[in-house]
Amino acid sequence: MIALVVVSLAGCQGIIGDPPSASGDGTPRTPAGKALVADDIPVSGARRLSRAELDNVLFDLLGSTSRLGTAHLPEDDQEREGMFLHWPFDNAYPKQTADKVLVLAFETIADAAAREVVGDEAKRASIVPCAPTGADDAACLRAFVEDFGLRAFRRPLEADEIDNFMRLHAFAVEADDFWLGVRAVLTAMLQSVDFLYRVEIGTPEPGLSDVYRLNDFEIASRMSFLLWGSAPDDALLGAARDGLLGARDGRQAEARRMLEDGRAIAQVDRFHALWLGYNQLPHSPELTTAMREETLALLRRVVFEEDRPYVDIFRSSETYVSPMLAEHYGIPTPEGDAGWVTYDDGRGGILSHGTVLAAFATGGDTSLTRRGVYVRERLMCQTIPPPPLNVNADDIPETNCKSEMMEVHQEGACGGCHRFMDPIGWGLENYDLAGRFRAHDEGKPECVIDGAGSIDGVGEFTGPAELADLLIEDGSLERCAIRQVVRYAIGREERPEDEALVDELVEARAGDGWSFLDLLVDVVASDRFVLARRDESVSE
Amino acid sequence: VKEDAMTKKSLSRRAVLRGIGGAAVALPFLEIMADSSTARAGGGGIPKRYLVCVAGSSLGSGDVDIDETYVPSTVGFDYDLKTALAPFAGGTLPSGARYGDVKSEISVITGLRIPWAAMNGGTVPAGGRPDNHHETMVSPLLSGVRTPNGESTTCFGPTSDQIVADALGGGTLFPSLQYCVQASSYLGGGGLGSRATISYRDGGGLGAAGAAIRPQVSPRAAWEELFYNFEDPSEDPAEVARRDFDRRFRQSIIDVVRTQVDRLQTRLGRPDQIRLEQHFDEIRDLERRIAELGPEVVGACAPLPDPGADPAFGGNRAQVGDEYPYDVNNGYSNEDLRAEVLNRLIKMAFACDLTRSVSLMYSHFHSWMNVYELVGRESDLHELGHSGNTHGTRGQAEMLAWHYKHFAALVDDLRNTSEVDGTRLLDHAALVMTHEGGYGLDPSDGSVKRSHSTERMACLIAGRAGGMIQGQHVSMPGGHPAQVLVTAMRAVGIEGDRLGEVEGVVPEIFDGPST
Repeated sequence: MIALVVVSLAGCQGIIGDPPSASGDGTPRTPAGKALVADDIPVSGARRLSRAELDNVLFDLLGSTSRLGTAHLPEDDQEREGMFLHWPFDNAYPKQTADKVLVLAFETIADAAAREVVGDEAKRASIVPCAPTGADDAACLRAFVEDFGLRAFRRPLEADEIDNFMRLHAFAVEADDFWLGVRAVLTAMLQSVDFLYRVEIGTPEPGLSDVYRLNDFEIASRMSFLLWGSAPDDALLGAARDGLLGARDGRQAEARRMLEDGRAIAQVDRFHALWLGYNQLPHSPELTTAMREETLALLRRVVFEEDRPYVDIFRSSETYVSPMLAEHYGIPTPEGDAGWVTYDDGRGGILSHGTVLAAFATGGDTSLTRRGVYVRERLMCQTIPPPPLNVNADDIPETNCKSEMMEVHQEGACGGCHRFMDPIGWGLENYDLAGRFRAHDEGKPECVIDGAGSIDGVGEFTGPAELADLLIEDGSLERCAIRQVVRYAIGREERPEDEALVDELVEARAGDGWSFLDLLVDVVASDRFVLARRDESVSE
Repeated sequence: VKEDAMTKKSLSRRAVLRGIGGAAVALPFLEIMADSSTARAGGGGIPKRYLVCVAGSSLGSGDVDIDETYVPSTVGFDYDLKTALAPFAGGTLPSGARYGDVKSEISVITGLRIPWAAMNGGTVPAGGRPDNHHETMVSPLLSGVRTPNGESTTCFGPTSDQIVADALGGGTLFPSLQYCVQASSYLGGGGLGSRATISYRDGGGLGAAGAAIRPQVSPRAAWEELFYNFEDPSEDPAEVARRDFDRRFRQSIIDVVRTQVDRLQTRLGRPDQIRLEQHFDEIRDLERRIAELGPEVVGACAPLPDPGADPAFGGNRAQVGDEYPYDVNNGYSNEDLRAEVLNRLIKMAFACDLTRSVSLMYSHFHSWMNVYELVGRESDLHELGHSGNTHGTRGQAEMLAWHYKHFAALVDDLRNTSEVDGTRLLDHAALVMTHEGGYGLDPSDGSVKRSHSTERMACLIAGRAGGMIQGQHVSMPGGHPAQVLVTAMRAVGIEGDRLGEVEGVVPEIFDGPST
């Protein structure tokens, strides 16, 4: 059973623990089996595909590997980088804005993708459901508009839309080239708002004001972008057309199928990379690749291949390394090529990986404070207030050893907050930002690192393995992991009404050893996944 | 019927559009361009142009005072050029092109200050910022409106380029243009939105955050957009026909896309309508723009040759001790060349009256651009100001000089560009260079000689629109950088002498040096 944790950090005004449910005693506002109330339904709005999602969709729909989204679009707003990144994900729709540069970039991407696929005879044949009899084969182009339109817009096109795109057939006739018509339609569809935005219109839900129920195609999109980070495939669209997704068991069945697809592995990796902060690593390409493979191997084994309890991600005593990476870390080397090895020191689980240990580093080194913030915010889902205005976070005390700096930080006003952060970082300090063990500060043998860390109010630990154990015993890590999945699924910064979904999912995980795949299936199976409340926070 | 209309052959767009008759085609900027020889020569017929630039750097840090590297020793005309200002004497661009001495065309305003909360009892004063640095000064610097405590990374009023665009840009193809030289944040995790944006729409009055207008970072895309509407210079009928086909093809596709917008808009709930409105508007604008007829190639106005593919991205800044030395191409994407190309585009956009208001960000706020290739120092632009005396003020002066080289070259280019009445384009322009910070007190912790300071800031101003008198060093202790923008705004005809909460101009720019 995962306990609800209400953290009280006296002396640091504003550190907010894992927010309890509104009733304050851990009871979900809508008890299981009871009727839903409107206040428990997450608010949602139209959302644009992120860069990564667009790249995935262009690959799935057209076989394009050019990553045109990444090449041409502005970076998705991940709030601000740095210490106080409460929101780690790139899919917060309220942050999305449009301007001329964005619209031109979408035009460029659509043009390039359309030329790419039409210029390849095999590819273009694969997306057109008929063999054109000639440039003037309007019926075949119409079939393409309907067929590809369904996949691009993730819903069937209405008659007036089909007519709208068919206007472009005139170019095929004029140029005497059927495929020019295909290119024109593709170019238009790929920059249409219907393609770029996931729009949910739904139907009003009786008895719940401002709440609407998603239609089957809208549900299909929610499922595919959560589980795959991409558009629905034909099977999922077929399930939507057959009306199977409105029902819980229909969604469960489709979700199970989708989680067996390679796209789900990539998406679970991506979720963890954003959450745990290793989407961009400050290492050489060789090292970055080796570390990403290490972490992916663990996720693949625990979540997919063996469907083991999710906490094994944090507790695994084995890791998958190449000989180069093993040598880099200074851990046992696998036989031959890359393989699983057993740790023989204080390492264990994903927190020992170079991917995670690089997170929140600054200035080419680890930071005790930032790692403390990382554990509190990312792994415990607490909120650390920014430094007060009279503190220059750039201006660290001038001390020889980091341990001395930590002591300075514990004194006076600084200690009010820093005692909740730095001692956590100290427990990881034996591991540098590239995951190597070190016994002292860089180049300073006199600055010994004993790595005796603690989490104020929780307990003591040394090294990543003990940290993971502490957070798991405490219950905060599992609840936080579930919360992060909910954040990612909802795709915006947290609001009070989201708590009901978190509670619902946590309750269902009672008992040891819950599986991550079951969690994902439960998310899409929830009634709250197929209901939404209009976002009225937008100002006129 | 529609299909026929869409593919109607046209031998020449210009001929067709002319045939329709001027009144039928909504091409306001033609009113200036169509008969430019008379329209422009008639006194006052030549439009005013406005440019605001940002260098993501402060003026100094550490023990070396900016009096040694930046601030001229004398005020008035014929000021002395220290390290940072040395490029005003002329120099060479990445392409090998040379530009001339422009000291007499650029004025330097020093001693400026953006006030902060601590000097006002903890409450942010009008036109001021919270005590923390970086993105908190964006709003007072560019919109003249204070950033409230706890806020940052946006403007709480419209920026000067947008005010100018609203006043002057109505008849142009691009009411305003936004460009950025620095190719990437080089952070990966950081959003391009906050640090790389210097243009903000009016969000509904003072204190209301307006929508950010992100800049174009691709010189190639900027070039394509700018010259799309120009008449094909080709004599080859086949080539002309091909271009005509491509044009109709693009227009028809955008028409289909816009039709999808129209139908979706009516189906959305009100909140989604509001949130997606800007995207919808941009598509409609695009449709209008690409249907318009470009200016005639007359006088100094001529399409520039294709600049070619953009210089390659240099990848994120990496900071792992000596694993990633600075002398490799990371965190740098040949911004030197990008700056030169974008400046040439700006000059021609002005010369052809495609726009009258431009914002140009040379380097991001809190910039992680690697400066090794530019000045041989192992640092990025932001860290130059946090290296104590290792780089400090001298390193920052060298990088300011890099920014100023490009600014000076643009000034020289505009000076050498003739309007149809024979006057210089520079005589009808107002150009301002602003900076992220100054040198002095960091109010967040009381330390001094810091780059996280908005004391002792400076701005450059050039152009002689509105009778501005250039070539001066003006010392204006306690003046606000936004007053330099107000000066430029008055020069291009904006009334009120006010930007946000900041009032008043730099008097010497209109009156000459004070005696």
